[in-house]
Amino acid sequence: MERRQNHHQQPQNPRRNPSSSSSSSQSSNHRSRYRPPNRAGGDARPHSREDPYLDSGDAAAGGRPRSLARPMRAHASEAAAGSSIGVRERQEQHRRDQDREDDRDCRELASVVGTCPHMCPVGEMAQRERLRNLAVFERLHGNPAKTSPELAVKKFCRTISTRDVQLSDIRPFSVLGSTLDYLMSLMNSTPEPFETVHDFIFDRTRSIRQDLSMQNIVDKRVIHMYEKMVNFHVTSHHKLRLRSSGPDSFNISSLHHLNMEQLAKVLTSLYNLYDLNRDHSSTHKNEPEYRSLYVLLCLNSESLPEGERLSLWFRRVPTPVIKSKEMSFARRILRYFRTGNYSRFFSTIAAEASYLQYCALEPYIDKVRALAVLCINNGGYKLHPYPIAHLSNLLMMEESEVESFCNACGLETSLDEQGNKVLPTKQPAFEHPKAGYGKYGFSGLENICRGREAEENV
Amino acid sequence: MAAYLSMGEAHRRITDYLARFSDAVASQDVASLKPLLSLSSASPSLVSLADALNLLQDSNRLIKQSDRYSQFAEILAPLFRCLQNYRLHNLVDAYPAYEKAANAFIQEFRNWDSAWALEALYVIAYEIRVLAERADRELSANGKMPEKLKAAGSFLMKVFGVLAGKGPKRVGALYVTCQLFKVYFKLGTVHLCRSVIRSIETARIFDFEEFPQRDKVTYMYYTGRLEVYNENFTAADQKLSYALAHCNPHSEANIRMILKYLIPVKLSIGILPKDWLLERYNLVEYSNIVQALKRGDLRLLRSALEEHEDRFLRSGVYLVLEKLELQVYQRLLKKIYIIQKQKEPTKAHQMKLEVIIKALKWLEIDMDLDEVECIVAILIHKNLMKGYFAHKSKVVVLSKQDPFPKLTGKPVNA
Repeated sequence: MERRQNHHQQPQNPRRNPSSSSSSSQSSNHRSRYRPPNRAGGDARPHSREDPYLDSGDAAAGGRPRSLARPMRAHASEAAAGSSIGVRERQEQHRRDQDREDDRDCRELASVVGTCPHMCPVGEMAQRERLRNLAVFERLHGNPAKTSPELAVKKFCRTISTRDVQLSDIRPFSVLGSTLDYLMSLMNSTPEPFETVHDFIFDRTRSIRQDLSMQNIVDKRVIHMYEKMVNFHVTSHHKLRLRSSGPDSFNISSLHHLNMEQLAKVLTSLYNLYDLNRDHSSTHKNEPEYRSLYVLLCLNSESLPEGERLSLWFRRVPTPVIKSKEMSFARRILRYFRTGNYSRFFSTIAAEASYLQYCALEPYIDKVRALAVLCINNGGYKLHPYPIAHLSNLLMMEESEVESFCNACGLETSLDEQGNKVLPTKQPAFEHPKAGYGKYGFSGLENICRGREAEENV
Repeated sequence: MAAYLSMGEAHRRITDYLARFSDAVASQDVASLKPLLSLSSASPSLVSLADALNLLQDSNRLIKQSDRYSQFAEILAPLFRCLQNYRLHNLVDAYPAYEKAANAFIQEFRNWDSAWALEALYVIAYEIRVLAERADRELSANGKMPEKLKAAGSFLMKVFGVLAGKGPKRVGALYVTCQLFKVYFKLGTVHLCRSVIRSIETARIFDFEEFPQRDKVTYMYYTGRLEVYNENFTAADQKLSYALAHCNPHSEANIRMILKYLIPVKLSIGILPKDWLLERYNLVEYSNIVQALKRGDLRLLRSALEEHEDRFLRSGVYLVLEKLELQVYQRLLKKIYIIQKQKEPTKAHQMKLEVIIKALKWLEIDMDLDEVECIVAILIHKNLMKGYFAHKSKVVVLSKQDPFPKLTGKPVNA
């Protein structure tokens, strides 16, 4: 497995002049900060975290927003007299130069356009062949030392010094688009275990975002690409969970966690793109669904540690999105989750969730099931054991799974006089099921998947 | 307008400003220094200075003409550029120039032993934020990525660092903190508040009581709001109540702002405001919600939330208010119980689920048996109701003792 990003990494930006006086860089802040004596209990000066304004895959090339190249300003000709125009122009140019200097720390190089025609730059391809550093998908006929332009995909590189980067190493927009499509096609078409596929696509899409960011491509064209990348991460969210029991479970659960982190970053960038490219305060076609995903991922506000609290997040969602069907669904689910209305929680998901929405909120389904079992066990009349069949409808689970779930909660099931399975209430030993205890299905899932296939075929 | 300005007059204005600046610093006269830095005040003298600068275009020469002024060249030159850009409505270029000037200023500030220039520093901190906000608006309007406010945040962090030491300057740290809060709230990067809060509250050099009252109130207001967003209602109550108690009683706008967040908090812990309070401070958006809680009227709660949805979402209290639903259910069931008690005291503690369904139907709310049972189970779980439910007989059996415990100032159990 490739080396993962440190959870608390500070952004590096080697392009910045280390003696810059501007404070807009978080890393240069460290060097130029005044350090008073006698600090109690550690540094009183706060450390800013990276702000994912535009996700660049966390490379040195990014982690910070960049302005687009400034348009040339027309000369302001103020003086009526012709003879002073030359001097005035020079002075104004000087001022503009000073402005540019002032702004140099807020600004990066003007937009570049990459020229690499393949999914992977030629140099990197040769180097990785030599070092035998080829992923299984990149190997020509399985040869660990040979690849081809059709198979090799540029890796994400954290420590790129953008001063040294060649234009021939950066893939232009069209190449990035076809690279992404190729990667997405791997999702369902290889025999490799899912974690391997996920790992590969995770890294290579990060590199795509890095290239996009270096070329400062922030217009509409990129939106669909980011949406596809969100699809990948959300689907992984679901598929990795399915595989997170068994001998590999520790590895996979850390994959899951990192996936969630990255998903949050990509979503945030996507939302910035929506905002930046909005005309006439309308919404983009898929925006309501993609916005709703954030709500569903954050039902429990602690789940995204750096994530914005939903209360704050909603403030900046445009009104048409708030009123959309997808967001209305997400908000109702949020309400049912927060008030503990398990009855409506499940029935609404079954009736209205899209596949992506289902994947996003899947981790909460078992939590709410546990809550339901807890409430029923605690509040139910001792002489009226709760019918498993009923529970199965309520919680959208197969009866056999209900039984096993109750057991995972430390509760026993039994049979009533008619031979029906029941859950006796007021059992004292309830406990929340441990993580990775098992995977339960969702009774409405086939319908949800059918809906997704229908969408994809359109 | 430049056309009516002579070169000589331009000259004079600039030199005049330079003199005032250097005199203010030399005599440590902060009252005279402040207005020279206060760009957004758009004072006539700054406006006329900017016109002069735009005409002359070569102010650097004037700055360098005397040692008195040239010692402050690092501050003054970018400040002049800023003024020029500002006057030409070019905020995107004005901001970085001001930041450069401000940066040079704080280098000087660090060298001054006493805290005489603290109020000038406040002006700078304020201007940095306000200029950056306007620059970002300009960027967004032109389809570019807004980034100046984020830079302002970094800069203010630096200023905080300068003030965070032993010595008289440290009382300024809270003002800068509050500016930072405003920046982070505006950007939505509220998690960045955490570290500066930690500094204020745990570093030994700071004694909270030493800070100016006005800053303490603002600080408690913002940290109180953070607690609201994090749904720590007890802490939120504490902080917002502090802000309310110490706020200037004549400052109605500020009181209103505090109440806007305090009321949902109080509601969540079972304390209802009086109607006159809501009217007095124009917070009538909460009136129906209070009514709904008093009457157990779920329909009223939902319609009130819908009516003011936009406002509540923007202020960030919507989710808090939505959760009051459980308390409304509690009130509704309590009313049913009271009615039953009047009709048949011995049987009152048994409530058929059908009766609850009927009551909800009167409120035009459709709920099936499953959902009612679910609500009942949840109310019991959260200790809003004491008793148990019998699934087969579709009945809730309430405890004979205190079946509907009051919240008494504590939030509903998670």
